[in-house]
Amino acid sequence: MNFFKEINLGKLLILILFIIALGIPYVLRANQYQVLLATTVLLYGVMATSWNIVGGLAGQLDFAAFAYLGIGAYVSGTLFIRFNITPWFGMILGGLVASGFALLIGIPLFRFGIKEVWYALTTSALVEILKVAFNMWEKVGGPVERCLPYFSGSWQNMRFVSYAPFYYIMLAMLVMALIVNQKITNSKLGYYLKAIGEDETATEVLGVDNRASKLKALFYYSFLIGMTGGIYSCMYGYIHPSFFNGPESTKVAILGIVGGRGITYGPLLAALLLVGAQEFLRASLGGEFSGLYLLIYAVIMVIVVLFKPRGIATIFQDIYRKFVVREVKNKDVA
Amino acid sequence: METIIQSVFSGILMGCIYALIALGLSLIFGVMNVVNFAHGNFVMLSMYFTFWAGSLYKIDAIFSPIITFPLLFLFGILVYHGLIKQTLQEHYTIQIAVTVGLMTFLGAITQLVWQARPRALAYSIVQGTIRFGSYTIALSRLISAIISLIIIMIISYFLAKTWPGMAIRATSDDSNAASLMGINFQRTYALAFALGSGLTAIAGGLLMTFQQVDPTMGLRFGLLSFCILALAGLGSITGLVISGLIVGISESLAMTFWDPRARTLVIYLIFILVLWFKPRGIFGRK
Repeated sequence: MNFFKEINLGKLLILILFIIALGIPYVLRANQYQVLLATTVLLYGVMATSWNIVGGLAGQLDFAAFAYLGIGAYVSGTLFIRFNITPWFGMILGGLVASGFALLIGIPLFRFGIKEVWYALTTSALVEILKVAFNMWEKVGGPVERCLPYFSGSWQNMRFVSYAPFYYIMLAMLVMALIVNQKITNSKLGYYLKAIGEDETATEVLGVDNRASKLKALFYYSFLIGMTGGIYSCMYGYIHPSFFNGPESTKVAILGIVGGRGITYGPLLAALLLVGAQEFLRASLGGEFSGLYLLIYAVIMVIVVLFKPRGIATIFQDIYRKFVVREVKNKDVA
Repeated sequence: METIIQSVFSGILMGCIYALIALGLSLIFGVMNVVNFAHGNFVMLSMYFTFWAGSLYKIDAIFSPIITFPLLFLFGILVYHGLIKQTLQEHYTIQIAVTVGLMTFLGAITQLVWQARPRALAYSIVQGTIRFGSYTIALSRLISAIISLIIIMIISYFLAKTWPGMAIRATSDDSNAASLMGINFQRTYALAFALGSGLTAIAGGLLMTFQQVDPTMGLRFGLLSFCILALAGLGSITGLVISGLIVGISESLAMTFWDPRARTLVIYLIFILVLWFKPRGIFGRK
């Protein structure tokens, strides 16, 4: 009985949130800028949710989120600029290339047993390497912005006059990331990953193929983010090496940790709260506080890590459990 | 040929300072097995402090460590007791998260206080150049490299011969055994962390004699010292200096012969390749 109740309540909540999310562009219709900000919140939601597969479940602190995003953006953008291939297709190709790249890095990394701190360091170096490399690679634009061709509002090429379509595309992406996340969490792979996240050596001893599991996690993560990269380049209308952004990649990891490692909706929750607040402040205060929000992020992260190391989602879990348990108790009494 | 020698030489000079920066990181990592992601930002912070000391109180960059060393030392103790100590028993994700939080915090605060534009000091008493035949060397770089080497030697003497130094080494080998032998390992940890962050003050002062500082530098110095640490492995100060020189020289050669933008690229490539093929470092003891 309790089981059904939990499912229904959860589903209802998701449905309500989804309907609210669908309605947001209508509420903000007059203001394109705000729709863009809402889309940015969703973008971070997608990235943090995808990050959860590697960083949360498998416990591999990955600071390379924007490396895969940048690769996806460059693949889809360059294909569009040079060969006029629609970003709808380029996006998937971008995801594949990004995950191919991730595996190319991941196979030797996991082969040579690089984990924990060294994995974190390697991935944060990766973003910087790609940034410099793409700055020097003149064929795809070098340090110059390459603009995507603009045929006024043609949906075939993912070029829209307003930001609302991007909002919905990103929302679809988010739903996809959440579903993938949930599917993995409840699968055999998910249990392997969770075990790896707790204790790698013990898991290996029990006969789990650590390397394969981590590579699979890395694949899903980088594929999702690479695909998002395709949307990202269309949304901003250009490709540029600044897409490989180290501090923002760290931010994605911060969102994942603050939200709750390994909890499907945790990183999304953190993204909604933190990025939402940040973009709201940006819209209302302007760019003056651009340095301030990173400071706030850092402080929140340290506080959460010290006092709620399992993330803010656990607060809601506790409240939810209390609520449900009380209801069941009442029923028992009745 | 001349260009190569000139470039190698300037690489050697930079490498000595890099080794000094990495020594601090190596102390912290060796003793408590915590990688301080904020290490590069400590260097940046002390460069800014040097800038302040120089521009507000007219203290020459080369003497500024007299003020900034105690400052960073205290800061290190504070950070250890406030953040690191709380997470020593936790999952490594938490440990990394705390220092990443600190890194982001310091990066943001420097951006707020000193803005994004580069800052440099107007003068230093060590100025001018020395000529050896057709080669020129900036005096400030030479002096900085020499001071770095002297400091490294002092630290190595401190670790080898003095009681607190030996306590640090013992704790780094086996903290349980060390604490059974009557070493207060909490205090040793705090000392190692404070010393590690204090060393960045000296490096920051030396760097400011010939360089400017901007808020993106933290990341660069951080990854640079991780690279040296990965190359050197743990436990050998000579190895650390050699690794510093390798990094300095390859950076300098890349800048001269490839592309100035490639300097970081080369460092990161070395870093990743070393991790792949020599995970324990080239000179590692452990």
